[in-house]
Amino acid sequence: MKLILPPGVSRARFDQALKAFATVVGPEWVLASDEDRETYLDLYSPGRDESHAASAAVAPASVEQVQALLKIANEYRIPLWPISRGKNFGYGGAAPRLPGTVMLDMGRLNRIIEVNDRLGYCILEPGVGFFDLWDYLKSNKIALQMGIPGNGWGSVVGNALERGFSPAGDHSNNICGLEIVLPNGEVVRTGMGAMGDGKAWPLFKHGFGPSWDQMVVQGNLAIVTKLCLWMKPADEAAISIEIKLPKPSDLQWCVEALSPLRLQGVIDGLVRLTSFQASATVPTLRSQWYQGTDSIPDDVIAQMMQRMNVGWWNGPLRLAGFSDVCEANLKRVLDRLAKFTKQEFPVTRMRGDAQPGPTTYPLQMVNWYGGRGGHIGYSPVMPADPKLVQEQFERTRRRYQQFGLDYSGTFYIDGRAATNVNLILYSKDDEEQKQRVRQLFEALIKDAREQGYGEYRTHLSYMDDVAASYDYNHNALLKLNERVKDALDPNGIIAPGRNGIWPKAYRAHRGVL
Amino acid sequence: MRRVLLLLALALPAAAWADDLTAQQSVGQQVFAHRCGMCHREGGTGTFVLARRLGAPQSLLEQRTDLKPEYVRFVVRWGLMNMPRLSRVEVPDTDLTDLVAYLTRPRPAATP
Repeated sequence: MKLILPPGVSRARFDQALKAFATVVGPEWVLASDEDRETYLDLYSPGRDESHAASAAVAPASVEQVQALLKIANEYRIPLWPISRGKNFGYGGAAPRLPGTVMLDMGRLNRIIEVNDRLGYCILEPGVGFFDLWDYLKSNKIALQMGIPGNGWGSVVGNALERGFSPAGDHSNNICGLEIVLPNGEVVRTGMGAMGDGKAWPLFKHGFGPSWDQMVVQGNLAIVTKLCLWMKPADEAAISIEIKLPKPSDLQWCVEALSPLRLQGVIDGLVRLTSFQASATVPTLRSQWYQGTDSIPDDVIAQMMQRMNVGWWNGPLRLAGFSDVCEANLKRVLDRLAKFTKQEFPVTRMRGDAQPGPTTYPLQMVNWYGGRGGHIGYSPVMPADPKLVQEQFERTRRRYQQFGLDYSGTFYIDGRAATNVNLILYSKDDEEQKQRVRQLFEALIKDAREQGYGEYRTHLSYMDDVAASYDYNHNALLKLNERVKDALDPNGIIAPGRNGIWPKAYRAHRGVL
Repeated sequence: MRRVLLLLALALPAAAWADDLTAQQSVGQQVFAHRCGMCHREGGTGTFVLARRLGAPQSLLEQRTDLKPEYVRFVVRWGLMNMPRLSRVEVPDTDLTDLVAYLTRPRPAATP
C-alpha cells in the first residue's frame, strides 16, 4: 500500500515523527514499508482500501513506551489508532477509520498478568489472544470458563472493549477495572484500582465516584494497557437442547416461549437462533446449491435444509450449572416449549467443563462465493418482543432479496433486548455486488432507525452513519462525547472518528470515505 | 509458553517426528504452532479451504514438500485469497525466517 500521510502532516514532518517513535521502541518496531501498510488493511472491506489505510505502525512493549509515544504523537500531531491483535474482522480488521493514521499495535503487550480461580477473574494485556488464555487455563488446570466469540483468533481485551459477545453474553459486562493511558500520557487505574494498592481492583466494578470503564469501551478517550475481566467458574453439568424449527414464522413463538425463561434466569446465557444459511456457508460453496445472481429461492432453501439436516431456525440451547438444577430447568424449558409445539427437541447431557475451545473455523464462510470473499455484519439491538422480532426478520429478509443477496441472520435473545446479527457475504472481486452490499447496508440502517433500533457495533465505513442514527435532541449524546473528547484529547491523537466521535482537529473528515 | 508449545508439539501427527529438525527448523515449528496452527493444522479453516482448492493431500502445510521460501514469505505478508496478512508485530522477520526454514525443509525422498 502506498503511503497516505496523516492529514496536515508533511512528508518531512512524518519522517521525523517516525524517527522519534524509533527512539522509544527501537527501529525494528516502527513498521512503515508498503508491505507493512498492506498488513494493516481491512482484508474483507466492502469499500476501497484507501478509505482506511494506515500510514505506518508502531509497536510498544511497555506502558512507559505508550506514554512516550503519546508525547511524540501530540508534538507532531500524528493520530494513533490502538489495536490489540487486529482481528476485528467484519468491522474493519486492523485498519483505522481515518486514512494516514498510524497504528498503535499493542500486540507485544501480551502478558497474562494473573488468573485467579478462587475469585474468578483474570488480568490481561491487550495482546493476549483467546488461544493464549485457553492454553494457559488448560496447562495450569484452572477451572474457569471463557466467553469465546465465533472467531477465536483475536484478543480477549480487544473483544471486550468492542462489546463483543458470545452466548455467554456481552463480554464488556465482565470488565472490572482498567489501566489506561490518557492522551496526555497520564496513567489511570479505574474503579478500586484508583487506590495505590487497591486490593479489590478486579473484584468490585465501580470504586468511589463515577465509573470510567464504560467511558473507554468502544470509545477513543484513552489507550487500555491492562484489563481485569471476570470469569465464571466451570459448571458441574451442562445440557444442550437442539432447537431446530422448520418454518421462518417459527421464530415468533420461539421467542415468546424462551425469552421469559431467560429473564427469570432459568436459561443462563443468550438464546441464539440462527437461520439455515449459517449451516451452509461454512462447509459448502454457494455454487453447490444455486447459480443465480438473485437471493437463493425458497425451493433451493428447502433442499439445503434437507441435505444439511437443519431447520430454518437453529440453535443449541445450553443449560449449565449444578446437575440437579439443570434437570429441573430442562423440565421447565421443555414444558414451556410443549405449550407452543408438538415438536420434540433432542437433549444431550455433558460435563459442565466440556466447553469447546476457541476456533477460527467459522471464518471460512467468506469463501461462500468462491474466490476472494468479504463479510460485514449489521447488528441492531431491539426489544425481545416476539412480534417485533418476527417483523424485524421479515423486513430484513425482504431487503436482502431486494438487493439480490443471501439472507443470513441470527437473533441473540436476552430477557429484555434482542441483538439481530445480520451477516452479509460477498465476493471482493465483484464490484457490482459490492455496490449492492453497500445499498443493502444503508437501507438496513434506515429501516432500523425508523423502528427505533440502533446498531451495537459497526464497520469503520458506517460508524458515522450509525452514530448519526442515535439522534435524540439533535445528536446530543454525540455532541457530549465530542466535548469530552476535545477536553481530554485536544490534539485529537487517539483514534479519530472511532464510532463517529471526531475530535475538532479532524471533524471535517466526518462522513468522508 | 514452552509448556503450551510442547503440548501442541505432542499433538503433531507421528509423521512429523520422522524429520530430524535443525535448531532453526524447531523454532520455526514453534512459530507455526503459535501463529499458524489455529488455521493450518487438522480441522483448521485454512486446511479446509486448501483442501477445497487443491485437494486433501495439499491441505496440511507442514506436510507439503513443494513450498518455496519466497512463496511462504509472500503469503504471510500479503495474504492469499481469504487469508489475512500477518504483520511484523505478529510474526517478526526473524520468526518468519525460522518459519520458512521449517516449512521448506528438505525431506527424505518418499520410500516406494
